[in-house]
Amino acid sequence: MAELLSGNHAIAEAVRLSKVDFVAAYPITPQTPIYEKIAEMISEGKMCGQMMRAESEHSAMAACISASLAGVRVFTASSSQGIAYMHEMLHFASGCRVPIVMACVNRVVSAPWAFGTDQTDTLSQRDTGWIQLYCEDGQEALDTVIMAYKVSETIFLPVMVIIDGFYTSHFIEPVEIPEQTLIDQYLPKRNLPNRFDLSNPAFLQNVVDPPNYTRFKKRQFDDTLKARRLLIEADKEFGELFGRSYGVVEPLELADAEIGIVTAGSMTSCARIAVRTLRSKGIKAGLLKIKLFRPFPYNEVARYLGTLEKVIVIDRNVSSGKGGIFCDELKASMYNLKNRPEIYGFIGGLCGEDLPPEKFEKITLSVLRAKKPWDVPKWIHRMRF
Amino acid sequence: MILDFLIDSYVQLGYSIQVIEIKFTGRGGNGVVVAAQMLAKAFFLSGFYPQCFSLFGGERRGAPVKSFLRVNSSKILLKCEIKKADHLIVMAADLLPEEPLTENLKNGGLVLINADRPFKVEGPFKVAYVDAQKIARECRLGNIINTAMLGAYARISEILSLNYLEKAVREYVPSKLDENLRALRRAYEEARTF
Repeated sequence: MAELLSGNHAIAEAVRLSKVDFVAAYPITPQTPIYEKIAEMISEGKMCGQMMRAESEHSAMAACISASLAGVRVFTASSSQGIAYMHEMLHFASGCRVPIVMACVNRVVSAPWAFGTDQTDTLSQRDTGWIQLYCEDGQEALDTVIMAYKVSETIFLPVMVIIDGFYTSHFIEPVEIPEQTLIDQYLPKRNLPNRFDLSNPAFLQNVVDPPNYTRFKKRQFDDTLKARRLLIEADKEFGELFGRSYGVVEPLELADAEIGIVTAGSMTSCARIAVRTLRSKGIKAGLLKIKLFRPFPYNEVARYLGTLEKVIVIDRNVSSGKGGIFCDELKASMYNLKNRPEIYGFIGGLCGEDLPPEKFEKITLSVLRAKKPWDVPKWIHRMRF
Repeated sequence: MILDFLIDSYVQLGYSIQVIEIKFTGRGGNGVVVAAQMLAKAFFLSGFYPQCFSLFGGERRGAPVKSFLRVNSSKILLKCEIKKADHLIVMAADLLPEEPLTENLKNGGLVLINADRPFKVEGPFKVAYVDAQKIARECRLGNIINTAMLGAYARISEILSLNYLEKAVREYVPSKLDENLRALRRAYEEARTF
């Protein structure tokens, strides 16, 4: 059944359908409607589970880790400075191998103070050991939260399900809400280990020596890589049951393309229109939407982009003094390939700057004319359209 | 009812319509955001695919607020601002000098203005007006003029029946349901083209 929902409320519906036992969160724009909707559903008896009003995001994540160690299904959500404030606990979560799912609603990290979307808040958490999935719209976010629990509780790693602030979080669109019975079939309650034994109390994270630490990290690293395969399978199974699947990346018109645009998140929708328009003008353009950022989808990137002449990466984020983060990751992942495209980096859409299809078209035309790629990214707001 | 039937069958037969872009301007406190959401719901109930969003400056009373609505027969990929709309609903006419029609409305587009007298505007537009302020006050709704604006919109746009709007209003207004429905119907009767 389809309902008119914002991306935030679509995520709250996914949390309800996933029968989450425990939610600890702290409000922050643009994530707050997720938190409010879950509170409302619990108070109206539409959702079981307990909600904890934490005094900060740091405490919210600490509470989620503890609850997850006790073997219950856990959810939280945050944005911007809230995610930054959680940072040290994020490492703890992945290190404790707890299957937490967190919805992250991208918003600029202040200063300057602002509300629009910018993926730098989640990309700054790249090395915390969390799986990161960037979603294009509310429907994908709903579906991905459900898939995320399946994968997370299999491999015991926490997952961030990420949407753009406002463009996805506050856009209201028809969203298909799956049947609870089918969700129960897809995502049964697992017997997660309870690592607290009150009759035999013990310290949970003891000090380890270098060999043990390294063994632990190597195992975490390998399991994170394995998560890619699990995600592909979870997505396929979801598709068979519900008729929607997304892949860890999504190629569009890349088979015979000369030039490819790489996007993540909500900007992908306008880029799709741009590719259609460019094709109608006889330009062999294609698109690769990157959904999975950690573990990095090396194989897919090589397969879909390796044969192109030119690749454009549009980053709604910035690593000051270096470039767009997706662009840099893409360059690094392709360095050892025999054939690799020229990669052209652009930064745009920061703070929710509008990126209509015409901008993607004009960027593509400008890169087609370009003689060689540049190291320092071009900023879209400085370009003449 | 005939209109409902026509629109329903139009969508159900799978005909695609061109995306209609609708823009609301007004001030915080007018009900601009909920106006777009109610209209989205009404289109949704009648079988269309709506996409609705708002732009806030600061969330405070009196501040200029814009809301947007796209309507299509299938999924909408455009995820960007609406610059020049097909239909513009001006809930606070004193914002018009700052937000000129030529920058917010396509040539040949339709503008509905909340005004107490026929409103003369320059440019190749279809113009309609309704005294939503008066209707809202007389229906004891104060400055919340969104249901009145929507009633007038249903009349002049001729693409949506009042029936679906009434259903949406029932779902969205938190209080004073009868007053809101009265404002909706009265504005439907009193909307005038110019």
